[in-house]
Amino acid sequence: MQRKKIVLPESEIPRQWYNIMADMPTPLEPPLHPGTGEPAGPDDLSPIFPMNLIEQEVSTKRWIDIPEEILEKYLIWRPTPLYRAYNLEKHLKTPARIYYKNEGVSPAGSHKPNTAIAQAYYNKEAGTRRITTETGAGQWGSALSMCCSFFGLECKVFMVKISYNQKPYRRLMMETWGATCTASPSTETQAGRSILEKNPDSPGSLGMAISEAVEAAVGDEYTKYSLGSVLNHVMLHQTINGLETQKQLEMAGDYPDVVIGCAGGGSNFAGNCLPFVRDKIHGKEIDIIGVEPSSCPTMSRGPFAYDFGDTVQMTPLMPMHTLGHDFVPAPIHAGGLRYHGMAPILSQLLLDKLIRAENINQLETFQAGITFARTEGFISAPECNHAVAMTIREALKAREEGKEKTILCNWSGHGLVDMAAYEAYLSGQLSDQPLPEEEITRALEAIAPLPKPRQYIG
Amino acid sequence: MQNKPKENTGPPAEDFRIRCPRLGHQVRFSYCRQENMGLPCFKTLDCWHLHFPVEQYLRQELTASDWERTFSRAKQPKLSSLLELIHKAQRRTQESK
Repeated sequence: MQRKKIVLPESEIPRQWYNIMADMPTPLEPPLHPGTGEPAGPDDLSPIFPMNLIEQEVSTKRWIDIPEEILEKYLIWRPTPLYRAYNLEKHLKTPARIYYKNEGVSPAGSHKPNTAIAQAYYNKEAGTRRITTETGAGQWGSALSMCCSFFGLECKVFMVKISYNQKPYRRLMMETWGATCTASPSTETQAGRSILEKNPDSPGSLGMAISEAVEAAVGDEYTKYSLGSVLNHVMLHQTINGLETQKQLEMAGDYPDVVIGCAGGGSNFAGNCLPFVRDKIHGKEIDIIGVEPSSCPTMSRGPFAYDFGDTVQMTPLMPMHTLGHDFVPAPIHAGGLRYHGMAPILSQLLLDKLIRAENINQLETFQAGITFARTEGFISAPECNHAVAMTIREALKAREEGKEKTILCNWSGHGLVDMAAYEAYLSGQLSDQPLPEEEITRALEAIAPLPKPRQYIG
Repeated sequence: MQNKPKENTGPPAEDFRIRCPRLGHQVRFSYCRQENMGLPCFKTLDCWHLHFPVEQYLRQELTASDWERTFSRAKQPKLSSLLELIHKAQRRTQESK
């Protein structure tokens, strides 16, 4: 019988996270403070983050020890299994060997707790008593609630009121894990009260909820705020995924020719691929692909520049791949992938040609998700389907070329709470929205006069 | 998705809802129309243009400056928006003392 799952023994769980900042050929330029235009420093973030996490955010130390207390909690679901996709390979009639790393087995159903656990622990160590965050549907709120409960921290989740009323089960999950979930806008913050004075029946928004969560942290020295994506320390914590995968592939006697992940805020793609980027920096030949929607091809089509957050160009932002500040992407259902710009760390790796980007239209991604579900069984989250679709493309290419290559796909989470998106696809209500060339040209003309980071060589 | 709206140039009836990619559940157009402190959510055009001529509708509904504020402004990266929110929250906290 063939080995389907490559299961890393608990005793072999990685003991350190990998920090790509130590090995990046081109160091990152710091983000600019929107108020001063000067590089933002640790003190700017200290009102809402504990200093130990801020130190990780700016650290260039290559390996950072994972505290024993975090490892103990990781063991609830980690190491996650690496699967060999025999059924998909057979269906595609490909000579390629396809592996997928299943991050959907966590209690929250995705990779999110990899950093939620670490953030809860470091906050506890720093003397934080309560963590605040905001949530819409509740996936990040759920992950953080669970992890705060592990370390005896209060967790305060400001949940958008319309979601609070429509998603009682998510709220109950958070409360089951011990969090206090408050409908936003609330009377607990100045921001919330101000909104309610103007509109007592406000159904809330993510913008209001984050304002309340940040204010709650700023106003109390024992309260901090937590974010589940984009920042460097978040990606650092996620590297447990790629480090496990490397050990599992070694157990299988294999090594990837291609590494694939969906590229949204960056944390799931980075978490799996960064240890392989390190190998590439040291000479390995690997094709590392971040997959994004055709309707918003930030990495594969946009240049690297300082973009501005407003049309009067008063707010300098981080250097990143961008399609310009007046770009409005077309609709797709993979909400997590619809960011205007890519995380700076991934932008720089792209610029240094250590990773590359591909874009895929949404119909192809859902078709891939269906194929995956009918062969491997798992129903992917809509954004995860981008990685699955690229994996299928590469497998079919291997068939055409007659090559026995090894493909690694990061399967970042299940789609069991996203079935309405599948319903839309299955009932024929989705359509492809490729971005016309003239639309890209128009968007890029808007940022042509903007300053470019010194790394920009295009 | 529920019943498709009737062909017209205005928004669908209130019983028609689509999935919000930010919140992760079904919402009515009336929610998207006011999500941003009374102005539309910046994704309203993306999400609704398949269902009715939303751009045409909102260009009539909004002033030119509100249109500009809503749809010509990019979503900020998290770190930059966090720095702004910290600054605003500190100011609010000081004012309330």
